[in-house]
Amino acid sequence: MAVVAEPSKKLVCWSCGSENDADAQFCASCGKLQPYTPTDYFAFFGLPRRFQLDTASLERQFYRLSRKFHPDLYARASSEEQRWSLEKSSVLNDAWRTLRDPLARTEYALGLAGIRLEEQSRDASDRAAENGTAKQQVVPPDLLEEVFELNMQLEEMRMAKASGADDPETRGSLEAAKQNFDSQMKTSEQDLQRLWSEWDAAAETDDGETQQAAQQKMVDLLNRRSYIRNLLRDVEEALKN
Amino acid sequence: MAYSDKVIEHYNNPRNVGQMDKNSTEVGTGLVGAPECGDVMRLQIKVNPETRVIEDAKFKTFGCGSAIASSSLATEWVKGKTVDEALEIKNTDIVKELALPPVKIHCSVLAEDAIRAAIGDWKKKNVVEGQAVSTPVAVAAN
Repeated sequence: MAVVAEPSKKLVCWSCGSENDADAQFCASCGKLQPYTPTDYFAFFGLPRRFQLDTASLERQFYRLSRKFHPDLYARASSEEQRWSLEKSSVLNDAWRTLRDPLARTEYALGLAGIRLEEQSRDASDRAAENGTAKQQVVPPDLLEEVFELNMQLEEMRMAKASGADDPETRGSLEAAKQNFDSQMKTSEQDLQRLWSEWDAAAETDDGETQQAAQQKMVDLLNRRSYIRNLLRDVEEALKN
Repeated sequence: MAYSDKVIEHYNNPRNVGQMDKNSTEVGTGLVGAPECGDVMRLQIKVNPETRVIEDAKFKTFGCGSAIASSSLATEWVKGKTVDEALEIKNTDIVKELALPPVKIHCSVLAEDAIRAAIGDWKKKNVVEGQAVSTPVAVAAN
């Protein structure tokens, strides 16, 4: 995967003919809006493709560009410019929503690296069907065991609670379970940040192997998180009733 | 989203919920999951060593109504079939029977995965004489 943007081709301004950086949104000489060319969200903001990101500066950049792309400014411009301003405004919103959120950003950046989180299970099924083998599960077996076990315990607690007496003991175990899941979610956030910096540092030195390893760990972490998130949701539900 | 009557029926009256001794050589256990929705499904089969017929099946699923219905149906279908016949069950058959909407197709995939994983586990325990058990490495019961 190309980690750093390709040695950029130049963008020639359609209006004044001066040369600009390939990902320029406006011409540096005449200030005219440049055509919209589909690009990834990092490049759209002129950022290197990294997991760690200064969201405060991203936010400032977002508001600045929102104003500059605003379709109202192009009401009297050519129809091409009107179209570009609309396209860019819309991509800007998507890019901002994705990049500002740590998890959405992680999934997005993994997607750019060719990892489709949503599809991994189906991909594994397809491979299994092709080879006639049992499917390689996308999560490690011990995690499945653990999640299954946690679900069993949770179900017992919920049934105990539902069967009349809201006894303090059951409530206590539910509270403890909630605390456990909460802290696992927190730990996973810290782990994720550590993996981000591993990957980013490796990207600086073109260390593809370390990047691959960090990516795989991020996938495992996100899979684990989605199980814990469901357990947390169930335990909160049980405590509410 | 509205569930079909058949899904609701299986959801309200799931067949064969339960557990069998996973250490028994006659029992194959498949534990599978779909992280994208957080579902986990355990499906177990009890196989007659002589006839290779699946004599009993049990499941336990934590997930949405479609996942529960899919695994419930899967246990009904594998019972009385030989392991080789059971391997012919396709997720599309489950989709059709339960009238699952596109967004719930992965639940049926999970059920098919569970059947294959359970049979894989059983085969691993019983390296069947005269019959090559395919790729023992890949059939880990996960």
